Amino acid sequence: MIDPMWAVVLGVCLFTIGLWGAVTRKNAIIVLMCIEIILNAVNLNFVAAAAQHGDVTGWVYTVFAIAIAAAEVAIGLAIFLSFYGHNETISLDEMELLKH
Amino acid sequence: MSGAIDYALWIPVLPIVAFPIILFLGNVFKGTDAWRGRWKEGGTIATVVMGTSLGLSIWLIIGYIGQVTGHESVGQVGNWLSFHMVENGNLVSYSFGFGMYLDHVSVMLLFVASFLCFLIAIFSLGYMNSDPVNLDRNHRFYAEFLLFCAGMLGMVLADNFLWLFIFWEIMGLCSYLLIGFYYERPSASYAAKKAFLTTRVGDVFLLIGLLILWNLFGSLDFSVVWAEDNIAAVDAGTLKIALFMMFVGAVGKSAQFPLHVWLPDAMEGPTPVSALIHAATMVNAGLYLVARMYPFFASPAMSGEFTDLAILIAWIGGITAFMAALIAFVQKDIKKVLAYSTMSQLAYIFTGLGAALWFANTGHEEIALLAFGASMFHLFNHAMAKGMLFMASGSVIHEMHHAHHEVAHHDGEHEGHGDNDHFDAQDMSNMGGLASKMPITATAMAVGSASIIGIPLIGGFWSKEGIVGAAWKACLTPGGAWMLGPALLVLITAGMTGFYMSRMWFMTFAGKPKTPVANGVVEQTPFIPIPLVTLTVMTLGGIVFAGFEFVHWVADGHAEMHFSHVLSGIGAEMSHAFLPSGEENGGLIYLVTMLTIVISTIVGPGTAMALYGGRLQKGEKAKPWLAWLVSLSARVRKNNHFDNSTWANSGLAESLHQRLHFDAWYDSAMLKIVVPFANACAWFDQHIIDGAIKGIEYGSQEGSSVIRRLTTGSGRDYIMMAALGTLAIFLLIWGVA
Amino acid sequence: MADNTNMTMRDREFALVAGLLAISAVLMYVFPSIAVENSAGQIDWITLPLVAFPIIAGAVLMAFASMQPYRLKDRIGQPIKLISVVFALMMLGISSGLLFGWLESIDWDISRYNRYELEFEYSWMQTIGVSWHVGLDGLSFSMVWLTTVLIPIVMITTWEEKMGWYHHPLILMMGGALIGVFVALDFFMFYVFWELTLIPMFFLILKWGGEDRRYAAQKFFIYTFTGSVVMLLGIVTLYFLQPSSQALIDQGVLTGRTFDMTQMAIGAQESANADIAWLGINMQKALFLMFLLGFLVKLPAVPFHTWLPDAHVQAPTAGSMLLAGVMLKMGGYGLFRVCTTLFPEALLEYQWLLLTIGMVSLVYGSFVCLGQTNLKRLVAFSSVSHMGIILLGIATMEPLGFAGAIFMMFAHGIISPLLFAVAGAFKHHYHTLEIGSMRGMAKHSPWLATFMMFGWMASLGLPLLAGFVAEITVLIAFWKAFGWWVILPGVTLIVTAAYYLWSMQKTIFEGGDDGEMPESLGGAPAPDISLWEVSGMMLLAMLTVLFGVLPWIFFDMMTGYAYGLFDGILLNVIGGGA
Repeated sequence: MIDPMWAVVLGVCLFTIGLWGAVTRKNAIIVLMCIEIILNAVNLNFVAAAAQHGDVTGWVYTVFAIAIAAAEVAIGLAIFLSFYGHNETISLDEMELLKH
Repeated sequence: MSGAIDYALWIPVLPIVAFPIILFLGNVFKGTDAWRGRWKEGGTIATVVMGTSLGLSIWLIIGYIGQVTGHESVGQVGNWLSFHMVENGNLVSYSFGFGMYLDHVSVMLLFVASFLCFLIAIFSLGYMNSDPVNLDRNHRFYAEFLLFCAGMLGMVLADNFLWLFIFWEIMGLCSYLLIGFYYERPSASYAAKKAFLTTRVGDVFLLIGLLILWNLFGSLDFSVVWAEDNIAAVDAGTLKIALFMMFVGAVGKSAQFPLHVWLPDAMEGPTPVSALIHAATMVNAGLYLVARMYPFFASPAMSGEFTDLAILIAWIGGITAFMAALIAFVQKDIKKVLAYSTMSQLAYIFTGLGAALWFANTGHEEIALLAFGASMFHLFNHAMAKGMLFMASGSVIHEMHHAHHEVAHHDGEHEGHGDNDHFDAQDMSNMGGLASKMPITATAMAVGSASIIGIPLIGGFWSKEGIVGAAWKACLTPGGAWMLGPALLVLITAGMTGFYMSRMWFMTFAGKPKTPVANGVVEQTPFIPIPLVTLTVMTLGGIVFAGFEFVHWVADGHAEMHFSHVLSGIGAEMSHAFLPSGEENGGLIYLVTMLTIVISTIVGPGTAMALYGGRLQKGEKAKPWLAWLVSLSARVRKNNHFDNSTWANSGLAESLHQRLHFDAWYDSAMLKIVVPFANACAWFDQHIIDGAIKGIEYGSQEGSSVIRRLTTGSGRDYIMMAALGTLAIFLLIWGVA
Repeated sequence: MADNTNMTMRDREFALVAGLLAISAVLMYVFPSIAVENSAGQIDWITLPLVAFPIIAGAVLMAFASMQPYRLKDRIGQPIKLISVVFALMMLGISSGLLFGWLESIDWDISRYNRYELEFEYSWMQTIGVSWHVGLDGLSFSMVWLTTVLIPIVMITTWEEKMGWYHHPLILMMGGALIGVFVALDFFMFYVFWELTLIPMFFLILKWGGEDRRYAAQKFFIYTFTGSVVMLLGIVTLYFLQPSSQALIDQGVLTGRTFDMTQMAIGAQESANADIAWLGINMQKALFLMFLLGFLVKLPAVPFHTWLPDAHVQAPTAGSMLLAGVMLKMGGYGLFRVCTTLFPEALLEYQWLLLTIGMVSLVYGSFVCLGQTNLKRLVAFSSVSHMGIILLGIATMEPLGFAGAIFMMFAHGIISPLLFAVAGAFKHHYHTLEIGSMRGMAKHSPWLATFMMFGWMASLGLPLLAGFVAEITVLIAFWKAFGWWVILPGVTLIVTAAYYLWSMQKTIFEGGDDGEMPESLGGAPAPDISLWEVSGMMLLAMLTVLFGVLPWIFFDMMTGYAYGLFDGILLNVIGGGA
């Protein structure tokens, strides 16, 4: 078995990539994908911890996180689709309705 | 006495109860014939009520004189207000109650007040109700009149200083309401405000004096405060301050210098108001208060402590007497002459009281009682005479108004009321020769003036001599050197009084009518003659009162009036007045008395006759006693007339016309100091204090618009903020842990 | 179709009126037999009839009115107003019954510290130590009676106000909330009702007010709320400073402490008897200041008073009458209930502070009055000035001063509604409040002029009217405590007379035969006030005379309260020193 630490490292890298993408990208769908990457990184972290300690709690958290990520993507996509229907764009730069 | 006592509370309560009733009925029945006619818009009710009060008062007085010596406290109701104070770590209980106190002074004033209130109510029936300008608002007059009477009667009967003060203020309110009766006139409205505010200044001093007094004695009840033991136990200095403050209150209420400015303006009110409030009753309240300070001065424990206060009182009296008489020299308005005369005569009483208090405080008890009695007797005489004089002047003014109406309408020009205002029915230079046209009024005025001047044997003579004598005795007694001023002033003023009162009478009644209006005057108003005749008799009967040893009785709580020995009493008084007594300095005092008689009876009136006398118009016949007076004045004028135009046009006269500038000073002090300060405070409040709040509002709004910029509306920014925030929390927890 | 609607409407009206009256009558009749009794055998007349019913009834009436279609709202207005008045009169009946002993025989001259009549305690939020604890003593009963007498009078005076179907129930709710403040003996409950009173007043100003009403309503709400939040801080601090009691924890109170005022008072009294400063002198001073800020903003005292003129000028007549009549007294009430009862040592330390603030309010307030040209602002500042007397009365540290201050709260609570009714009537009928714009109104509006004069005279302290008793009692104690400083109140008496007389001279007097009408009247004939306004003002005037001539009706219970306060705790503090 590889050292679970490597999984954590991979997780950190994935987290950074995902975070960078979520903050930087213009396209809303891409941002959603990046958030998925973040969530996957977190899942990796949990699994690694579970593997290291042999505690099933980690896997339970992972299953929860996957389910919640799926629900969140569904809602997010629905919102963006509806927004596109009104405004013909899903560029985050142009979603400024809540500006002060 | 017991029967009368049960009803004594009704004396002030009856008018108070009738006050809202008249207001209510007046509002409901305004304009109806019955209300205007039979009910005289409330005048009937007012007269009946005051008559009942008078009856009850007389019953009470008769019972009192017959059965009681000294004083009596009746009808005590405790616990109007009960409370506690902390003393030496304990809670002590106190209370204010309400009761009635009868002694010689209060009985005398009770009679004066109720008698005059009744007579003036009758006078108003004629005066107010026959003047068309008062139509449909007389109910307000009678209601306020009754409230005032209740205040005066209540004050006279009260048995503690708190209720004295309460009724004092009620009278102030009614004075304000009645002076401003013709409220649509700016001058009346202004005069009412001036009266209230000036007396208010005095009232604040009085209030503070009462606070000090309460804190000294733990009570304001007369029986507690005058008890010798209690007086001995308090600090003399503090008591003197309290008495001084109370005196300032009296100065305000009785229109003495320097709080005198409101009285001449108060003549804006209808004449019955001037007669009642500003001659006969309310202005006596100040005198009553000072009279009630006598036991403090007479207390052996305080001997010698209050002499300077007594001398101050006498000085204020002297100055005011002289000043008022001087200003009266140049007055053209008949009511203003009487107003200044009132001021002057009240000042006389203050001088007499000052002398009495000085004697009391230096241990000369007998002379003190005589001086005190003389002052109180002068109050009595003055109230009767001045009330009558005002009513008589009201009669003159009323008939002049009627005559003016006749003249104006006879000429075929139906002038509106506005034009009437241009003809001043109160200006004596429009009158003249009325002695034949208004016999009753002329007689009343002559007798009243004589009483005020101090013509021998008539009313005021008996008391005035007493006051002048007391003042001179005081300045001749060792330690009384300061009394020379008041004594001199009072002596000179006697002559001046003779002059200006006679001037008033002769300008109005002697000579030829100066205008067609005066020519057309007829004495025709009903009800007015009744009080005039009654009071003429009372004034002439002053000699009888003197015979009762009234002076002695009023002052000394244990003296009795000797009704059965009237004639011998009169004889004793006459000898007392006209013959030198054997006492110390008796010769000098006798000289002074004679001098006073001479200048007040001969020099003063003589000068007036020389300037203003004159025969009546051809064909006019006056009553015999008036005719004698008029022809005397004509003869004096023919022989002794001199030109007084240099005096009349001098700077002094000009200054007197401006009332010696006091009014102007007070007005400008208000306008230049108080009002700008108030405006500054208002500005400060709106811009600085509220400005601070507005600054906070503005600042928070500005701050909010700065912070709001965080909400960029951009999703990416929010994600960044969320991430950074999470990182921060993580670091914090990591750091803390 | 129209006929159909009319008949349905009338039926609904009758149903509403009859139904609510019937329910109330049944409740009132059945109430004594089902009501709770306390250990002294008294029935709880406070919780339901005086506090809960008005609030609930007001809410129900407003809800009912809001459900009506707009065009029918006018028709529903009359019955709703009538029901509101009936409720208010029932409240007045109960409180008067308690006063004169018709309902319970109670001697209101209690003279004991921390003793209350009609004391009832129900558990409410056990877990944090909050209970529904009500009771009345000499201080609070006078305020409760004042409120119950003012609510119907306000309703009568403003009978013709627009949107009456919301207006009168709102006043009813206000009354219930105000009484809740005065009867509360638990700090949580006290604070809840304290804030609750803000809400109806806010809406009254917002919906029925003048041109600048939005600004005024917001300023009023936020300003007083800020003061109250500081007070809340004080309450919570006080709560956590109490020692935690195991007995309470066993009963289910998580923190082992209670918000109960009476328990804290017992603690304070024990400390005073032992010559120790309760909770430590510094903590006590801090708490005193926190509470003081809240109360000073409410009173209002200079310099926290600037919300009052704006609120008053923009508020409708009912709002002003209640605001000046009762709401301001909450500040004074709080000072007595909290600061003097629980923090006596701090009170002694800060006597100078109360003296200064009171004196500044009194003198400065009266001079600012003199510089006003708006009638309502003038009366508002005169309220500020009179509230200064309350602070002076407390500062004297004499039972007479305390009793006088409480009587000032009471007397001012009767006189200032009259003043504001007059000012409101001016605004209503002449459409202006500028003093310089008119002359000679007495000729055209004699009733209004009469009540103006009466109210003005009462406010400047004319004897035989209620205000005089308050002033003289405070002044007597003031001389004893502070000597010659009494000159300043003396000057204020003169200035007060000056501004009142000046404003009368310029509005109702002068002006010749026709007067000088303000332009805002637009040439219409000058009106006199309506019968409703006359009735309300007449009732207030009669009450003023009543309590001026017979002050002992309430003064005795105030003296008793002050005696109890001193006997119970303050004498120890003054004598022993903390």
